[in-house]
Amino acid sequence: MIELEGLTKHYPNSKKPAVDDFSLKMAEGETCVFVGPSGCGKTTILRMINRLVEPTSGSIRIDGKDVLSADQDQLRRNMGYVIQQIGLLPHRTVRDNVALVPRLLGWAEERTLKRVQELLGLVGLDPEETGGKYPHQLSGGQMQRVGVARAMAADPPIMLMDEPFGAVDPIVRSRLQDEFLQIQHSFNKTICFVTHDIDEAMKMGDKVAIINEGKLVQHGTPMEVLSQPAGPFVRNLLGEDRGVKLLDLTKCQDLMRRDEGLLQKLQGNPCTIGALQPVKAALEVMLRKDCDTVTVLRGDRAVGALTWQEIKGHIHGLSGEDHEL
Amino acid sequence: MGSAGGFLAYMEGIGEFWRGILTFIMENRQRIMEYTLNHFSLVLTVLALSLALWVSVGILISRNDKTANAVMGISNILFCIPSISLFGLFITIPYLGLGRRSAALALLLYAMMPLVRNVYKGIKSVDRYVLESGRGMGMSAAQILFHIQIPLAWPVVFAGIRVTVVLITGIATVATFIGERNLGRLIHHGLTRSNSQMIVAGALLVSLMALLLDFLMGLVEKKITSPGLRE
Ligand SMILES: Nc1ncnc2c1ncn2[C@@H]1O[C@H](COP(=O)(O)OP(=O)(O)OP(=O)(O)O)[C@@H](O)[C@H]1O
Ligand SMILES: [Mg+2]
Repeated sequence: MIELEGLTKHYPNSKKPAVDDFSLKMAEGETCVFVGPSGCGKTTILRMINRLVEPTSGSIRIDGKDVLSADQDQLRRNMGYVIQQIGLLPHRTVRDNVALVPRLLGWAEERTLKRVQELLGLVGLDPEETGGKYPHQLSGGQMQRVGVARAMAADPPIMLMDEPFGAVDPIVRSRLQDEFLQIQHSFNKTICFVTHDIDEAMKMGDKVAIINEGKLVQHGTPMEVLSQPAGPFVRNLLGEDRGVKLLDLTKCQDLMRRDEGLLQKLQGNPCTIGALQPVKAALEVMLRKDCDTVTVLRGDRAVGALTWQEIKGHIHGLSGEDHEL
Repeated sequence: MGSAGGFLAYMEGIGEFWRGILTFIMENRQRIMEYTLNHFSLVLTVLALSLALWVSVGILISRNDKTANAVMGISNILFCIPSISLFGLFITIPYLGLGRRSAALALLLYAMMPLVRNVYKGIKSVDRYVLESGRGMGMSAAQILFHIQIPLAWPVVFAGIRVTVVLITGIATVATFIGERNLGRLIHHGLTRSNSQMIVAGALLVSLMALLLDFLMGLVEKKITSPGLRE
Protein backbone atom coordinates (compact mmCIF):
# COMPACT_ATOMS: atom_id res chain seq x y z
CA MET A 1 0.00 0.00 0.00
CA ILE A 2 1.21 3.48 -0.88
CA GLU A 3 0.13 6.36 1.33
CA LEU A 4 0.73 9.96 0.37
CA GLU A 5 0.00 12.42 3.11
CA GLY A 6 -0.03 16.18 2.85
CA LEU A 7 2.49 15.93 0.04
CA THR A 8 3.64 19.36 -1.12
CA LYS A 9 6.32 20.43 -3.57
CA HIS A 10 7.32 24.00 -3.97
CA TYR A 11 9.98 24.37 -6.67
CA PRO A 12 12.41 27.20 -6.06
CA ASN A 13 11.54 30.41 -7.91
CA SER A 14 7.94 29.51 -8.57
CA LYS A 15 5.00 31.34 -7.07
CA LYS A 16 2.59 28.46 -6.62
CA PRO A 17 3.39 24.97 -5.36
CA ALA A 18 3.49 22.34 -8.12
CA VAL A 19 1.88 19.83 -5.76
CA ASP A 20 -0.25 21.17 -2.95
CA ASP A 21 -1.19 19.23 0.19
CA PHE A 22 -1.86 16.03 -1.72
CA SER A 23 -3.15 13.00 0.20
CA LEU A 24 -4.05 9.66 -1.30
CA LYS A 25 -3.98 5.95 -0.51
CA MET A 26 -3.34 3.28 -3.10
CA ALA A 27 -4.16 -0.30 -2.22
CA GLU A 28 -1.87 -3.17 -3.14
CA GLY A 29 -2.48 -4.50 -6.63
CA GLU A 30 -4.46 -1.44 -7.59
CA THR A 31 -3.93 0.70 -10.65
CA CYS A 32 -4.39 4.33 -9.74
CA VAL A 33 -4.46 6.74 -12.64
CA PHE A 34 -3.42 10.34 -12.08
CA VAL A 35 -5.16 12.50 -14.59
CA GLY A 36 -5.29 16.23 -15.10
CA PRO A 37 -4.24 19.01 -17.46
CA SER A 38 -0.64 19.62 -18.48
CA GLY A 39 1.40 21.16 -15.69
CA CYS A 40 -0.95 20.10 -12.89
CA GLY A 41 1.84 18.24 -11.09
CA LYS A 42 1.39 14.60 -12.15
CA THR A 43 5.01 13.97 -13.01
CA THR A 44 6.14 15.75 -9.87
CA ILE A 45 4.04 13.39 -7.73
CA LEU A 46 5.55 10.32 -9.37
CA ARG A 47 9.05 11.70 -9.03
CA MET A 48 8.47 12.29 -5.35
CA ILE A 49 7.39 8.69 -4.87
CA ASN A 50 10.73 7.42 -6.17
CA ARG A 51 12.57 10.38 -4.70
CA LEU A 52 13.84 11.96 -7.87
CA VAL A 53 12.26 15.06 -6.33
CA GLU A 54 12.36 15.76 -2.61
CA PRO A 55 9.01 16.92 -1.23
CA THR A 56 8.90 20.29 0.48
CA SER A 57 6.66 18.77 3.11
CA GLY A 58 4.42 15.79 3.69
CA SER A 59 5.13 12.10 3.83
CA ILE A 60 5.18 9.03 1.61
CA ARG A 61 4.80 5.57 3.11
CA ILE A 62 5.00 2.26 1.34
CA ASP A 63 3.66 -0.66 3.36
CA GLY A 64 3.93 1.59 6.40
CA LYS A 65 7.61 2.41 5.87
CA ASP A 66 8.69 5.97 5.31
CA VAL A 67 10.13 6.32 1.80
CA LEU A 68 12.00 9.49 2.67
CA SER A 69 14.34 7.65 5.00
CA ALA A 70 14.95 4.66 2.70
CA ASP A 71 18.08 4.18 0.60
CA GLN A 72 17.35 5.95 -2.69
CA ASP A 73 19.02 3.59 -5.13
CA GLN A 74 17.60 0.52 -3.41
CA LEU A 75 14.15 2.06 -3.39
CA ARG A 76 14.29 2.85 -7.11
CA ARG A 77 15.49 -0.61 -8.09
CA ASN A 78 12.36 -2.01 -6.52
CA MET A 79 10.09 0.39 -8.33
CA GLY A 80 9.61 0.22 -12.07
CA TYR A 81 9.74 3.66 -13.65
CA VAL A 82 8.56 4.46 -17.15
CA ILE A 83 9.49 8.07 -17.82
CA GLN A 84 7.40 10.34 -19.97
CA GLN A 85 10.22 10.87 -22.48
CA ILE A 86 11.04 7.12 -22.59
CA GLY A 87 14.77 7.77 -22.01
CA LEU A 88 16.22 4.54 -23.41
CA LEU A 89 20.01 4.42 -23.27
CA PRO A 90 20.94 5.13 -26.90
CA HIS A 91 24.29 3.34 -26.71
CA ARG A 92 22.81 0.09 -25.45
CA THR A 93 20.88 -2.52 -27.36
CA VAL A 94 17.26 -3.19 -26.56
CA ARG A 95 18.34 -6.31 -24.71
CA ASP A 96 20.85 -4.40 -22.57
CA ASN A 97 18.34 -1.67 -21.86
CA VAL A 98 15.85 -4.17 -20.51
CA ALA A 99 18.60 -6.00 -18.60
CA LEU A 100 19.65 -2.85 -16.80
CA VAL A 101 17.93 -3.22 -13.44
CA PRO A 102 18.45 -7.00 -13.11
CA ARG A 103 22.16 -6.37 -13.65
CA LEU A 104 22.14 -3.57 -11.08
CA LEU A 105 20.57 -6.05 -8.69
CA GLY A 106 23.32 -8.51 -9.44
CA TRP A 107 21.25 -11.23 -11.06
CA ALA A 108 23.13 -14.08 -12.71
CA GLU A 109 23.59 -13.33 -16.40
CA GLU A 110 21.70 -16.42 -17.49
CA ARG A 111 18.67 -15.49 -15.42
CA THR A 112 18.82 -11.91 -16.69
CA LEU A 113 18.88 -12.94 -20.34
CA LYS A 114 16.05 -15.38 -19.86
CA ARG A 115 14.02 -12.66 -18.21
CA VAL A 116 14.77 -10.20 -21.02
CA GLN A 117 13.65 -12.76 -23.58
CA GLU A 118 10.43 -13.35 -21.69
CA LEU A 119 9.68 -9.65 -21.22
CA LEU A 120 10.25 -8.69 -24.83
CA GLY A 121 7.77 -11.37 -25.77
CA LEU A 122 5.36 -10.10 -23.14
CA VAL A 123 5.32 -6.57 -24.53
CA GLY A 124 4.88 -7.88 -28.05
CA LEU A 125 8.37 -7.56 -29.44
CA ASP A 126 10.23 -10.35 -31.19
CA PRO A 127 13.23 -11.00 -28.90
CA GLU A 128 15.39 -12.33 -31.71
CA GLU A 129 14.67 -9.53 -34.12
CA THR A 130 14.45 -6.57 -31.75
CA GLY A 131 16.77 -7.60 -28.94
CA GLY A 132 19.96 -6.66 -30.77
CA LYS A 133 18.69 -3.38 -32.16
CA TYR A 134 19.63 0.04 -30.86
CA PRO A 135 16.96 2.53 -29.74
CA HIS A 136 17.39 4.75 -32.80
CA GLN A 137 16.39 1.82 -34.99
CA LEU A 138 12.98 1.48 -33.32
CA SER A 139 9.63 3.11 -34.01
CA GLY A 140 7.99 5.24 -31.32
CA GLY A 141 5.63 2.44 -30.35
CA GLN A 142 8.45 -0.08 -30.11
CA MET A 143 10.45 2.29 -27.90
CA GLN A 144 7.52 2.65 -25.53
CA ARG A 145 7.20 -1.12 -25.35
CA VAL A 146 10.88 -1.38 -24.50
CA GLY A 147 10.43 1.33 -21.87
CA VAL A 148 7.63 -0.66 -20.25
CA ALA A 149 9.60 -3.92 -20.47
CA ARG A 150 12.61 -2.24 -18.89
CA ALA A 151 10.53 -0.97 -15.98
CA MET A 152 9.07 -4.43 -15.39
CA ALA A 153 12.37 -6.26 -15.73
CA ALA A 154 13.11 -7.04 -12.11
CA ASP A 155 9.46 -7.73 -11.42
CA PRO A 156 9.04 -4.77 -9.04
CA PRO A 157 5.90 -4.78 -6.89
CA ILE A 158 5.31 -1.12 -7.71
CA MET A 159 5.33 0.53 -11.12
CA LEU A 160 5.38 4.25 -11.81
CA MET A 161 4.27 4.90 -15.36
CA ASP A 162 4.40 8.47 -16.67
CA GLU A 163 2.33 8.66 -19.84
CA PRO A 164 3.72 5.32 -20.96
CA PHE A 165 1.72 5.34 -24.19
CA GLY A 166 1.94 9.06 -24.88
CA ALA A 167 4.17 9.04 -27.94
CA VAL A 168 2.09 6.91 -30.29
CA ASP A 169 -0.97 7.31 -32.49
CA PRO A 170 -4.44 6.48 -31.07
CA ILE A 171 -4.66 3.05 -32.74
CA VAL A 172 -1.33 1.82 -31.43
CA ARG A 173 -2.10 3.40 -28.06
CA SER A 174 -5.34 1.53 -27.78
CA ARG A 175 -3.56 -1.73 -28.59
CA LEU A 176 -0.82 -1.05 -26.04
CA GLN A 177 -3.49 -0.29 -23.44
CA ASP A 178 -5.29 -3.56 -24.11
CA GLU A 179 -2.07 -5.53 -23.95
CA PHE A 180 -1.05 -3.84 -20.76
CA LEU A 181 -4.41 -4.50 -19.11
CA GLN A 182 -3.92 -8.13 -19.97
CA ILE A 183 -0.43 -8.14 -18.48
CA GLN A 184 -1.69 -6.37 -15.38
CA HIS A 185 -4.42 -8.98 -14.89
CA SER A 186 -1.82 -11.68 -14.54
CA PHE A 187 0.75 -9.77 -12.45
CA ASN A 188 -1.26 -7.71 -10.05
CA LYS A 189 1.19 -4.92 -9.41
CA THR A 190 0.49 -1.65 -7.67
CA ILE A 191 0.63 0.87 -10.47
CA CYS A 192 0.69 4.65 -10.49
CA PHE A 193 -0.25 5.56 -14.01
CA VAL A 194 -0.10 9.13 -15.29
CA THR A 195 -2.03 10.41 -18.25
CA HIS A 196 -3.76 13.55 -19.41
CA ASP A 197 -6.16 11.53 -21.55
CA ILE A 198 -9.39 11.04 -19.58
CA ASP A 199 -10.46 8.09 -21.72
CA GLU A 200 -7.20 6.33 -21.00
CA ALA A 201 -7.72 7.04 -17.30
CA MET A 202 -11.17 5.48 -17.33
CA LYS A 203 -9.93 2.48 -19.23
CA MET A 204 -6.79 1.73 -17.25
CA GLY A 205 -7.71 2.73 -13.72
CA ASP A 206 -9.17 0.77 -10.84
CA LYS A 207 -9.12 4.18 -9.23
CA VAL A 208 -8.80 7.59 -10.79
CA ALA A 209 -7.23 10.59 -9.09
CA ILE A 210 -8.19 13.84 -10.76
CA ILE A 211 -5.70 16.62 -10.20
CA ASN A 212 -5.88 20.32 -10.86
CA GLU A 213 -3.15 22.84 -10.06
CA GLY A 214 -1.41 20.40 -7.76
CA LYS A 215 -4.51 19.59 -5.73
CA LEU A 216 -6.49 16.37 -5.60
CA VAL A 217 -9.94 17.22 -6.89
CA GLN A 218 -11.55 13.80 -6.84
CA HIS A 219 -10.51 10.24 -6.09
CA GLY A 220 -12.66 7.22 -6.82
CA THR A 221 -13.46 4.42 -9.22
CA PRO A 222 -14.11 5.47 -12.81
CA MET A 223 -17.75 4.67 -12.23
CA GLU A 224 -17.93 6.90 -9.16
CA VAL A 225 -16.19 9.74 -10.90
CA LEU A 226 -18.44 9.51 -13.94
CA SER A 227 -21.64 9.23 -11.99
CA GLN A 228 -20.84 11.79 -9.30
CA PRO A 229 -18.33 14.25 -10.69
CA ALA A 230 -17.09 16.57 -7.93
CA GLY A 231 -17.79 19.94 -9.38
CA PRO A 232 -17.44 21.75 -12.68
CA PHE A 233 -13.72 21.03 -13.19
CA VAL A 234 -14.25 17.28 -13.20
CA ARG A 235 -17.41 17.56 -15.28
CA ASN A 236 -15.50 19.61 -17.81
CA LEU A 237 -12.62 17.16 -17.88
CA LEU A 238 -14.99 14.25 -18.41
CA GLY A 239 -16.50 16.02 -21.39
CA GLU A 240 -19.97 16.19 -22.88
CA ASP A 241 -20.23 12.45 -23.36
CA ARG A 242 -20.21 11.34 -19.72
CA GLY A 243 -23.29 9.22 -20.26
CA VAL A 244 -21.74 7.33 -23.15
CA LYS A 245 -18.53 6.86 -21.13
CA LEU A 246 -20.64 5.41 -18.33
CA LEU A 247 -22.21 2.95 -20.70
CA ASP A 248 -18.74 2.05 -21.89
CA LEU A 249 -17.81 1.03 -18.34
CA THR A 250 -20.97 -0.95 -17.59
CA LYS A 251 -21.12 -4.54 -18.74
CA CYS A 252 -24.35 -5.79 -20.28
CA GLN A 253 -24.62 -8.57 -17.72
CA ASP A 254 -24.67 -6.01 -14.91
CA LEU A 255 -27.60 -4.08 -16.34
CA MET A 256 -29.67 -6.76 -18.08
CA ARG A 257 -33.06 -7.99 -16.87
CA ARG A 258 -33.33 -11.74 -16.18
CA ASP A 259 -36.94 -12.17 -17.09
CA GLU A 260 -37.89 -15.60 -18.43
CA GLY A 261 -41.17 -14.35 -19.81
CA LEU A 262 -39.47 -11.57 -21.73
CA LEU A 263 -36.80 -13.92 -23.03
CA GLN A 264 -39.53 -16.26 -24.25
CA LYS A 265 -41.08 -13.40 -26.18
CA LEU A 266 -37.72 -12.41 -27.62
CA GLN A 267 -36.96 -15.79 -29.20
CA GLY A 268 -35.43 -15.23 -32.61
CA ASN A 269 -34.57 -11.60 -31.82
CA PRO A 270 -31.91 -10.58 -34.39
CA CYS A 271 -30.45 -8.05 -31.94
CA THR A 272 -27.99 -9.84 -29.66
CA ILE A 273 -24.91 -8.94 -27.62
CA GLY A 274 -22.35 -10.78 -25.48
CA ALA A 275 -22.85 -10.58 -21.73
CA LEU A 276 -19.34 -9.17 -21.12
CA GLN A 277 -19.66 -6.46 -23.78
CA PRO A 278 -20.12 -2.86 -22.59
CA VAL A 279 -23.63 -1.49 -22.67
CA LYS A 280 -22.38 1.04 -25.20
CA ALA A 281 -22.01 -1.82 -27.67
CA ALA A 282 -25.61 -2.87 -27.01
CA LEU A 283 -26.67 0.69 -27.78
CA GLU A 284 -24.77 0.50 -31.02
CA VAL A 285 -26.63 -2.71 -31.93
CA MET A 286 -29.97 -1.02 -31.17
CA LEU A 287 -29.14 1.93 -33.38
CA ARG A 288 -27.82 -0.16 -36.22
CA LYS A 289 -30.58 -2.77 -36.26
CA ASP A 290 -33.33 -0.35 -35.23
CA CYS A 291 -34.69 -2.27 -32.25
CA ASP A 292 -35.56 -1.38 -28.64
CA THR A 293 -34.60 -4.63 -26.96
CA VAL A 294 -31.35 -6.57 -27.15
CA THR A 295 -30.96 -10.19 -26.12
CA VAL A 296 -27.89 -10.77 -23.96
CA LEU A 297 -26.05 -13.97 -24.72
CA ARG A 298 -23.56 -15.99 -22.79
CA GLY A 299 -22.15 -18.29 -25.41
CA ASP A 300 -25.24 -19.35 -27.38
CA ARG A 301 -27.62 -19.12 -24.45
CA ALA A 302 -29.87 -16.12 -23.90
CA VAL A 303 -29.38 -15.03 -20.30
CA GLY A 304 -31.15 -11.70 -20.18
CA ALA A 305 -32.44 -8.67 -22.02
CA LEU A 306 -31.60 -4.99 -22.20
CA THR A 307 -34.19 -2.43 -23.17
CA TRP A 308 -33.77 1.14 -24.34
CA GLN A 309 -35.84 2.34 -21.40
CA GLU A 310 -33.52 0.60 -18.94
CA ILE A 311 -30.43 2.09 -20.45
CA LYS A 312 -31.94 5.56 -20.30
CA GLY A 313 -33.05 4.99 -16.74
CA HIS A 314 -29.57 3.79 -15.82
CA ILE A 315 -27.90 6.96 -17.01
CA HIS A 316 -30.44 9.16 -15.31
CA GLY A 317 -30.29 7.14 -12.12
CA LEU A 318 -26.53 7.36 -11.88
CA SER A 319 -26.19 10.96 -12.85
CA GLY A 320 -28.82 12.19 -10.45
CA GLU A 321 -30.45 15.51 -11.25
CA ASP A 322 -27.94 16.26 -14.01
CA HIS A 323 -30.56 15.92 -16.73
CA GLU A 324 -28.86 17.76 -19.54
CA LEU A 325 -26.47 14.82 -20.11
CA MET B 1 57.29 26.97 -78.07
CA GLY B 2 59.15 29.15 -75.62
CA SER B 3 56.42 28.98 -72.98
CA ALA B 4 56.11 25.20 -73.36
CA GLY B 5 59.80 24.88 -72.85
CA GLY B 6 59.57 27.13 -69.81
CA PHE B 7 56.81 24.94 -68.41
CA LEU B 8 58.83 21.78 -68.94
CA ALA B 9 61.82 23.34 -67.25
CA TYR B 10 59.59 24.40 -64.38
CA MET B 11 58.21 20.88 -63.95
CA GLU B 12 61.68 19.51 -64.09
CA GLY B 13 62.67 21.95 -61.39
CA ILE B 14 59.91 20.69 -59.15
CA GLY B 15 60.90 17.09 -59.79
CA GLU B 16 64.44 18.00 -58.96
CA PHE B 17 63.35 19.66 -55.71
CA TRP B 18 61.43 16.61 -54.47
CA ARG B 19 64.16 14.24 -55.53
CA GLY B 20 66.45 16.43 -53.49
CA ILE B 21 64.25 16.04 -50.45
CA LEU B 22 64.15 12.28 -50.84
CA THR B 23 67.91 12.16 -51.21
CA PHE B 24 68.25 14.36 -48.15
CA ILE B 25 66.06 12.05 -46.11
CA MET B 26 67.87 8.94 -47.34
CA GLU B 27 71.30 10.39 -46.67
CA ASN B 28 70.37 11.51 -43.16
CA ARG B 29 68.08 8.63 -42.32
CA GLN B 30 69.84 7.81 -39.08
CA ARG B 31 69.53 11.29 -37.71
CA ILE B 32 66.00 11.66 -38.99
CA MET B 33 65.06 8.35 -37.39
CA GLU B 34 66.34 9.64 -34.07
CA TYR B 35 64.39 12.89 -34.45
CA THR B 36 61.24 11.03 -35.42
CA LEU B 37 61.44 8.69 -32.46
CA ASN B 38 62.10 11.57 -30.07
CA HIS B 39 59.22 13.49 -31.52
CA PHE B 40 56.94 10.50 -31.30
CA SER B 41 57.83 9.66 -27.73
CA LEU B 42 57.31 13.26 -26.63
CA VAL B 43 53.88 13.34 -28.26
CA LEU B 44 52.89 10.01 -26.73
CA THR B 45 54.10 11.01 -23.27
CA VAL B 46 52.17 14.24 -23.40
CA LEU B 47 49.12 12.49 -24.79
CA ALA B 48 49.10 9.92 -21.99
CA LEU B 49 49.60 12.57 -19.31
CA SER B 50 47.01 14.89 -20.70
CA LEU B 51 44.40 12.18 -21.11
CA ALA B 52 44.84 11.13 -17.49
CA LEU B 53 44.82 14.70 -16.24
CA TRP B 54 42.45 16.64 -18.46
CA VAL B 55 39.81 13.99 -18.89
CA SER B 56 39.58 13.78 -15.10
CA VAL B 57 39.43 17.54 -14.82
CA GLY B 58 36.74 17.67 -17.50
CA ILE B 59 34.67 15.11 -15.62
CA LEU B 60 35.15 16.87 -12.28
CA ILE B 61 34.14 20.29 -13.53
CA SER B 62 31.02 18.87 -15.18
CA ARG B 63 29.62 18.61 -11.65
CA ASN B 64 29.83 22.32 -10.96
CA ASP B 65 29.16 25.02 -13.52
CA LYS B 66 30.95 27.81 -11.67
CA THR B 67 34.20 25.86 -11.41
CA ALA B 68 33.75 24.79 -15.01
CA ASN B 69 33.64 28.37 -16.27
CA ALA B 70 36.70 29.31 -14.24
CA VAL B 71 38.72 26.31 -15.38
CA MET B 72 37.81 26.75 -19.02
CA GLY B 73 38.65 30.44 -18.80
CA ILE B 74 42.12 29.51 -17.58
CA SER B 75 42.56 26.94 -20.33
CA ASN B 76 41.63 29.52 -22.95
CA ILE B 77 44.20 31.96 -21.62
CA LEU B 78 46.92 29.31 -21.54
CA PHE B 79 46.06 28.34 -25.09
CA CYS B 80 46.61 31.91 -26.24
CA ILE B 81 50.20 32.20 -24.94
CA PRO B 82 52.60 31.87 -27.87
CA SER B 83 54.36 28.54 -27.57
CA ILE B 84 57.86 29.93 -27.91
CA SER B 85 57.41 32.18 -24.90
CA LEU B 86 55.91 29.41 -22.80
CA PHE B 87 58.87 27.16 -23.56
CA GLY B 88 61.20 30.05 -22.84
CA LEU B 89 59.50 30.70 -19.53
CA PHE B 90 59.73 27.13 -18.33
CA ILE B 91 63.45 26.71 -18.94
CA THR B 92 64.10 29.45 -16.41
CA ILE B 93 62.37 27.39 -13.71
CA PRO B 94 65.00 25.34 -11.87
CA TYR B 95 63.52 21.83 -11.82
CA LEU B 96 62.26 22.07 -15.40
CA GLY B 97 65.21 23.58 -17.25
CA LEU B 98 66.20 22.83 -20.82
CA GLY B 99 64.75 19.71 -22.36
CA ARG B 100 61.95 17.26 -22.02
CA ARG B 101 60.36 18.35 -18.74
CA SER B 102 59.75 21.89 -19.92
CA ALA B 103 58.63 20.70 -23.30
CA ALA B 104 56.19 18.15 -21.89
CA LEU B 105 54.74 20.60 -19.39
CA ALA B 106 54.15 23.26 -22.01
CA LEU B 107 52.50 20.82 -24.38
CA LEU B 108 50.40 19.50 -21.51
CA LEU B 109 49.07 22.99 -20.98
CA TYR B 110 48.22 23.39 -24.66
CA ALA B 111 46.31 20.12 -24.56
CA MET B 112 44.16 21.42 -21.74
CA MET B 113 41.87 23.60 -23.81
CA PRO B 114 40.69 21.10 -26.43
CA LEU B 115 40.50 18.18 -24.00
CA VAL B 116 38.84 19.77 -20.99
CA ARG B 117 36.39 21.64 -23.16
CA ASN B 118 35.35 18.60 -25.14
CA VAL B 119 35.03 16.31 -22.14
CA TYR B 120 32.92 18.93 -20.39
CA LYS B 121 30.81 19.58 -23.47
CA GLY B 122 30.39 15.87 -24.13
CA ILE B 123 29.20 15.11 -20.64
CA LYS B 124 26.92 18.13 -20.55
CA SER B 125 25.33 17.20 -23.86
CA VAL B 126 23.96 13.90 -22.55
CA ASP B 127 20.18 14.00 -22.80
CA ARG B 128 18.72 14.83 -19.39
CA TYR B 129 15.92 12.33 -19.77
CA VAL B 130 18.40 9.53 -20.36
CA LEU B 131 20.08 10.59 -17.13
CA GLU B 132 16.76 10.74 -15.36
CA SER B 133 15.79 7.26 -16.47
CA GLY B 134 19.15 5.99 -15.22
CA ARG B 135 18.60 7.65 -11.86
CA GLY B 136 15.01 6.47 -11.77
CA MET B 137 16.13 2.89 -12.19
CA GLY B 138 18.45 3.16 -9.24
CA MET B 139 21.87 3.65 -10.84
CA SER B 140 24.35 5.23 -8.45
CA ALA B 141 26.15 8.44 -9.40
CA ALA B 142 29.28 6.46 -10.31
CA GLN B 143 27.29 4.01 -12.42
CA ILE B 144 25.65 6.88 -14.25
CA LEU B 145 29.05 8.42 -14.89
CA PHE B 146 30.71 5.28 -16.20
CA HIS B 147 27.77 3.61 -17.91
CA ILE B 148 25.88 6.56 -19.28
CA GLN B 149 27.72 9.87 -19.26
CA ILE B 150 31.16 8.77 -20.41
CA PRO B 151 30.02 6.37 -23.14
CA LEU B 152 27.59 8.95 -24.49
CA ALA B 153 30.23 11.67 -24.34
CA TRP B 154 32.76 9.53 -26.24
CA PRO B 155 32.23 10.95 -29.73
CA VAL B 156 32.71 14.51 -28.52
CA VAL B 157 35.61 13.55 -26.25
CA PHE B 158 37.26 11.75 -29.12
CA ALA B 159 36.95 14.73 -31.39
CA GLY B 160 38.88 16.61 -28.70
CA ILE B 161 41.52 13.91 -28.44
CA ARG B 162 42.11 13.93 -32.18
CA VAL B 163 42.47 17.70 -32.27
CA THR B 164 44.86 17.47 -29.33
CA VAL B 165 47.07 14.87 -31.01
CA VAL B 166 47.43 16.90 -34.17
CA LEU B 167 47.99 20.04 -32.12
CA ILE B 168 50.78 18.72 -29.91
CA THR B 169 52.49 16.96 -32.80
CA GLY B 170 52.70 20.36 -34.46
CA ILE B 171 53.67 22.46 -31.45
CA ALA B 172 56.25 19.89 -30.37
CA THR B 173 58.45 21.12 -33.26
CA VAL B 174 59.01 24.37 -31.37
CA ALA B 175 60.54 22.39 -28.46
CA THR B 176 63.65 22.05 -30.58
CA PHE B 177 64.60 25.53 -29.37
CA ILE B 178 64.82 24.27 -25.81
CA GLY B 179 66.90 21.25 -26.55
CA GLU B 180 64.53 18.58 -27.83
CA ARG B 181 66.20 16.72 -30.70
CA ASN B 182 63.05 16.18 -32.77
CA LEU B 183 61.71 16.87 -36.25
CA GLY B 184 61.47 20.54 -35.38
CA ARG B 185 65.24 20.56 -35.60
CA LEU B 186 65.09 19.93 -39.34
CA ILE B 187 62.89 22.95 -39.78
CA HIS B 188 64.96 25.03 -37.39
CA HIS B 189 68.25 24.19 -39.09
CA GLY B 190 66.71 24.48 -42.51
CA LEU B 191 65.69 28.00 -41.61
CA THR B 192 69.09 29.08 -40.31
CA ARG B 193 70.84 27.57 -43.32
CA SER B 194 68.22 28.68 -45.84
CA ASN B 195 67.88 25.07 -46.88
CA SER B 196 64.34 24.78 -48.16
CA GLN B 197 64.58 21.07 -48.80
CA MET B 198 65.41 20.50 -45.20
CA ILE B 199 62.47 22.64 -44.06
CA VAL B 200 60.06 20.83 -46.31
CA ALA B 201 61.42 17.43 -45.25
CA GLY B 202 60.80 18.33 -41.60
CA ALA B 203 57.34 19.72 -42.22
CA LEU B 204 56.44 16.73 -44.32
CA LEU B 205 57.45 14.23 -41.67
CA VAL B 206 55.61 16.13 -38.94
CA SER B 207 52.43 16.22 -41.00
CA LEU B 208 52.74 12.53 -41.80
CA MET B 209 53.09 11.75 -38.12
CA ALA B 210 50.04 13.87 -37.26
CA LEU B 211 48.00 12.24 -40.00
CA LEU B 212 49.05 8.78 -38.92
CA LEU B 213 48.19 9.42 -35.28
CA ASP B 214 44.86 10.92 -36.26
CA PHE B 215 44.14 7.90 -38.43
CA LEU B 216 44.98 5.49 -35.62
CA MET B 217 42.80 7.47 -33.24
CA GLY B 218 39.99 7.22 -35.74
CA LEU B 219 40.30 3.43 -35.68
CA VAL B 220 40.22 3.36 -31.90
CA GLU B 221 37.23 5.67 -31.87
CA LYS B 222 35.32 3.43 -34.23
CA LYS B 223 36.11 0.46 -32.06
CA ILE B 224 35.06 2.12 -28.80
CA THR B 225 31.98 4.09 -29.83
CA SER B 226 28.71 2.16 -29.51
CA PRO B 227 27.01 1.38 -32.83
CA GLY B 228 23.91 2.89 -31.22
CA LEU B 229 25.55 6.31 -31.49
CA ARG B 230 26.36 6.00 -35.19
CA GLU B 231 23.28 6.95 -37.11
N1 LIG C 1 12.44 20.90 -12.07
C1 LIG C 1 11.50 21.86 -12.00
N2 LIG C 1 11.84 23.10 -11.57
C2 LIG C 1 10.89 24.06 -11.49
N3 LIG C 1 9.60 23.89 -11.81
C3 LIG C 1 9.21 22.68 -12.24
C4 LIG C 1 10.14 21.61 -12.37
N4 LIG C 1 9.49 20.52 -12.83
C5 LIG C 1 8.21 20.91 -12.97
N5 LIG C 1 8.03 22.20 -12.63
C6 LIG C 1 6.75 22.95 -12.65
O1 LIG C 1 5.86 22.28 -11.82
C7 LIG C 1 4.57 22.21 -12.41
C8 LIG C 1 4.10 20.77 -12.52
O2 LIG C 1 4.93 20.09 -13.44
P1 LIG C 1 4.76 18.57 -13.79
O3 LIG C 1 5.86 18.19 -14.70
O4 LIG C 1 4.62 17.79 -12.55
O5 LIG C 1 3.38 18.57 -14.58
P2 LIG C 1 2.62 17.41 -15.35
O6 LIG C 1 1.27 17.31 -14.75
O7 LIG C 1 3.44 16.18 -15.38
O8 LIG C 1 2.49 18.01 -16.82
P3 LIG C 1 2.53 17.27 -18.24
O9 LIG C 1 1.19 16.63 -18.43
O10 LIG C 1 2.72 18.40 -19.19
O11 LIG C 1 3.65 16.30 -18.23
C9 LIG C 1 4.67 22.93 -13.73
O12 LIG C 1 4.18 24.24 -13.55
C10 LIG C 1 6.15 22.95 -14.03
O13 LIG C 1 6.48 24.11 -14.72
MG1 LIG D 1 4.42 15.11 -16.89
